[in-house]
Amino acid sequence: MAYTNNLHVVYGEASLGVNGQDFAYLFSYERGGLESLKIKDKEWLYRTPTPTFWRATTDNDRGSGFNQKAAQWLGADMFTKCVGIRVQVDDHPFDELPVAPINNQFSNQEFAHEVKVAFDYETLTTPATKVKIIYNINDAGHMTITMHYFGKKGLPPLPVIGMRFIMPTKAKSFDYTGLSGETYPDRMAGAERGTFHIDGLPVTKYLVPQENGMHMQTNELVITRNSTQNNADKDGDFSLKITQTKQPFNFSLLPYTAEELENATHIEELPLARRSVLVIAGAVRGVGGIDSWGSDVEEQYHIDPEQDHEFSFTLN
Amino acid sequence: MKANIKWLDDPEVFRINQLPAHSDHPFYKDYREWQNHSSSFKQSLNGAWQFHFSKDPQSRPIDFYKRSFDSSSFDTIPVPSEIELNGYAQNQYTNILYPWESKIYRKPAYTLGRGIKDGDFSQGKDNTVGSYLKHFDLNPALAGHDIHIQFEGVERAMYVYLNGHFIGYAEDSFTPSEFDLTPYIQAKDNILAVEVFKHSTASWLEDQDMFRFSGIFRSVDLLALPRTHLMDLDIKPTVVNDYHDGVFNAKLHFMGKTSGNVHVLIEDIDGKTLLNKKLPLKSTVEIENETFANVHLWDNHDPYLYQLIIEVHDQDGKLVELIPYQFGFRKIEITKDHVVLLNGKRLIINGVNRHEWDAKRGRSITLADMKQDIATFKHNNINAVRTCHYPNQIPWYYLCDQNGIYMMAENNLESHGTWQKLGQVEATSNVPGSIPEWREVVVDRARSNYETFKNHTAILFWSLGNESYAGSNIAAMNKLYKDHDSSRLTHYEGVFHAPEFKKEISDLESCMYLPPKEAEEYLQNPKKPLVECEYMHDMGNSDGGMGSYIKLIDKYPQYMGGFIWDFIDQALLVHDPVSGQDVLRYGGDFDDRHSDYEFSGDGLMFADRTPKPAMQEVRYYYGLHK
Repeated sequence: MAYTNNLHVVYGEASLGVNGQDFAYLFSYERGGLESLKIKDKEWLYRTPTPTFWRATTDNDRGSGFNQKAAQWLGADMFTKCVGIRVQVDDHPFDELPVAPINNQFSNQEFAHEVKVAFDYETLTTPATKVKIIYNINDAGHMTITMHYFGKKGLPPLPVIGMRFIMPTKAKSFDYTGLSGETYPDRMAGAERGTFHIDGLPVTKYLVPQENGMHMQTNELVITRNSTQNNADKDGDFSLKITQTKQPFNFSLLPYTAEELENATHIEELPLARRSVLVIAGAVRGVGGIDSWGSDVEEQYHIDPEQDHEFSFTLN
Repeated sequence: MKANIKWLDDPEVFRINQLPAHSDHPFYKDYREWQNHSSSFKQSLNGAWQFHFSKDPQSRPIDFYKRSFDSSSFDTIPVPSEIELNGYAQNQYTNILYPWESKIYRKPAYTLGRGIKDGDFSQGKDNTVGSYLKHFDLNPALAGHDIHIQFEGVERAMYVYLNGHFIGYAEDSFTPSEFDLTPYIQAKDNILAVEVFKHSTASWLEDQDMFRFSGIFRSVDLLALPRTHLMDLDIKPTVVNDYHDGVFNAKLHFMGKTSGNVHVLIEDIDGKTLLNKKLPLKSTVEIENETFANVHLWDNHDPYLYQLIIEVHDQDGKLVELIPYQFGFRKIEITKDHVVLLNGKRLIINGVNRHEWDAKRGRSITLADMKQDIATFKHNNINAVRTCHYPNQIPWYYLCDQNGIYMMAENNLESHGTWQKLGQVEATSNVPGSIPEWREVVVDRARSNYETFKNHTAILFWSLGNESYAGSNIAAMNKLYKDHDSSRLTHYEGVFHAPEFKKEISDLESCMYLPPKEAEEYLQNPKKPLVECEYMHDMGNSDGGMGSYIKLIDKYPQYMGGFIWDFIDQALLVHDPVSGQDVLRYGGDFDDRHSDYEFSGDGLMFADRTPKPAMQEVRYYYGLHK
């Protein structure tokens, strides 16, 4: 009989391991997220992914005072508060985290077809709202990630709604199928659809570093690295693939976080580029352009903080 | 005449002994010279000059122009270049506020019931001085001729001396200043001395949103006049008979000997002769109403130019001067429904504002920069340029003719610091306003712009300046264009703030940064065609929502489109000792205060002439109404 239970589940003392032939995922109850995403023995995470809400202030944002109106989201972006974790293996949802003593019943021979881990976050805003990130791993080790933002009345306007993945080293290149160039919801009519190869992680050299590098309506992204932090590793190219689920996704891949960009007044003040910061954005605010001293981005390109937003994509 | 430093304080003194502005035509000795683009009548003085920098007028070497002056302690400076970018004076970028904000209390002369303040600029502690010396011999080909000198651009007031004699004084940094050197020129061992002041009353009129530089930043040439010389060429090609036929008129003003003949030819692109006329030389020779059937019209898609050739012959039939000039036939008009037509078709402006800028050279740009900009325009469907906010280098106008780039040719005028105070209109000390003592200086700027560039087919609009409020003096500038030129439209946005002048100023309703919804409100009951002389402020990551403007083009024929602000970031490439890299720096990065910091970074291009990501959007939207 064919052996089909591909996922080897390890009920650890402080984390859940989901392993397979070429992958090993580690969900940390302590860190409130996915601590390790290992594919073909290469680690793809530097720190656990988090929701992201901030974009480095653009000149138009500054001129219109948007950064001041939205400032709470900067704190919410930098500091993440995990308030709940739910684990489900195949059809079995755990009422409590499967750590000791619950995990005493298990062995090293636990297998499953499907594992689902959900993290609930509370935003450090007034009022606060919830964000849920669900990791769903299927038989083949594909990980579908869904983030749901719960809208709430009274929240300040939003710069972005997305997930941020920080990778341990700087990517060598990336390839994507989507729109040419740097695009935003109000600046993508001129883009051409195609497959594009980008060397390095270029930061658009705006005089004052700011939000840049967004790629709207992407079907697939392949990130290629050639270095790791693993002292026992031999370097060589290796890649991670991100594909759309029902809807295309938006992303930027830069060597910096929004906060690092925010803090620099010139491009040469940015730190040495040593990591890869992937933002998968479910909702992107337009950049605007009427003027740079008061006019807001056109209404239809705002993100409504009072509405729910959900997006998903698949890793590996 | 003796030079007087107090001219710097007086707005009514702005040109002394300066020759009248005239057309920018080249002139050659013969066909071979034309073919080689090298006139033996012209001698470039560009290159290394001796230079002394003084931090204020009091400490300047007053006698430096005298032959007896010992200049062995002078440095050298390249001409053309900016004094600041040679490290002598501090770079400063400021937008509205004058560079002396918080350092020196100044109000313009003749405002607030006051007259001239003696020493306001002539003793200004901020008024740096460049003392330039150039030793030269005349090229043998120039010897024996009357000699003029032409400065294409000097910021901001200059006194010119030759061999110890005062020659003249000029302001208006961005139009050519020409003087007659004949009385004092020698074949060998000439000493040209130019004293350049950073400030004068002209500073009130040159408050453009830009880095504030000074110096001889454009070319300097000696011009030898042949025995008969075409001083001014004034051509008026018009289009008649339902845009089919062309009528050619021209006035040729000569100086020197008027014996002999002038031979006027017009050829099409295939070399076919359309006009061949020989006329006796007079001080003014006129060509009247020469009609050409089925002319090939000029526009952005098909910038078809005819070749005018003027041969000047002496009484023995010998060629003494050859003037080639290219021109096109095109017609711009406004219908009674307030729609602007070019050659009978609706004109749509897919434009940009363009400062002259080079990240290493400041406003002292090169021909290579200009050619690259034209290529960028063509690649991205940009069909129009506003020369914000001053006349550009002469070759740019020829490139626009040849490449079909519609020009809004703007005067050198911006005085927003005299009426925009903390974002509010406060015009109590505005110049030029309606103040009589400020009238001639601005009318002269309009005249210089007109006379220099009047023959350029690419110019469809004369722009009176930028953000200078409005009064009878700007109305007088408008009138100058109207009196001289029925073939183009006038433009001025600043009348928006003084609507009582709208009848006298500007054929167009011009706005800047008017949001699409408000533009639409105007277009529902337009009184004039609407243009956005500045829109889509491209500072940093911007240019979002352009589609909302482009939709208006489809919806309202009275909407002409607009000029994006702007084409290229103003930032300077400097070496950063910390990172070891060459990096782009902006206002405030030179310890300059007051500064407007990164507000000079509004281009579709980065300062190093690479395109910003927004360019693909511009290319798309401007491609919709090519």
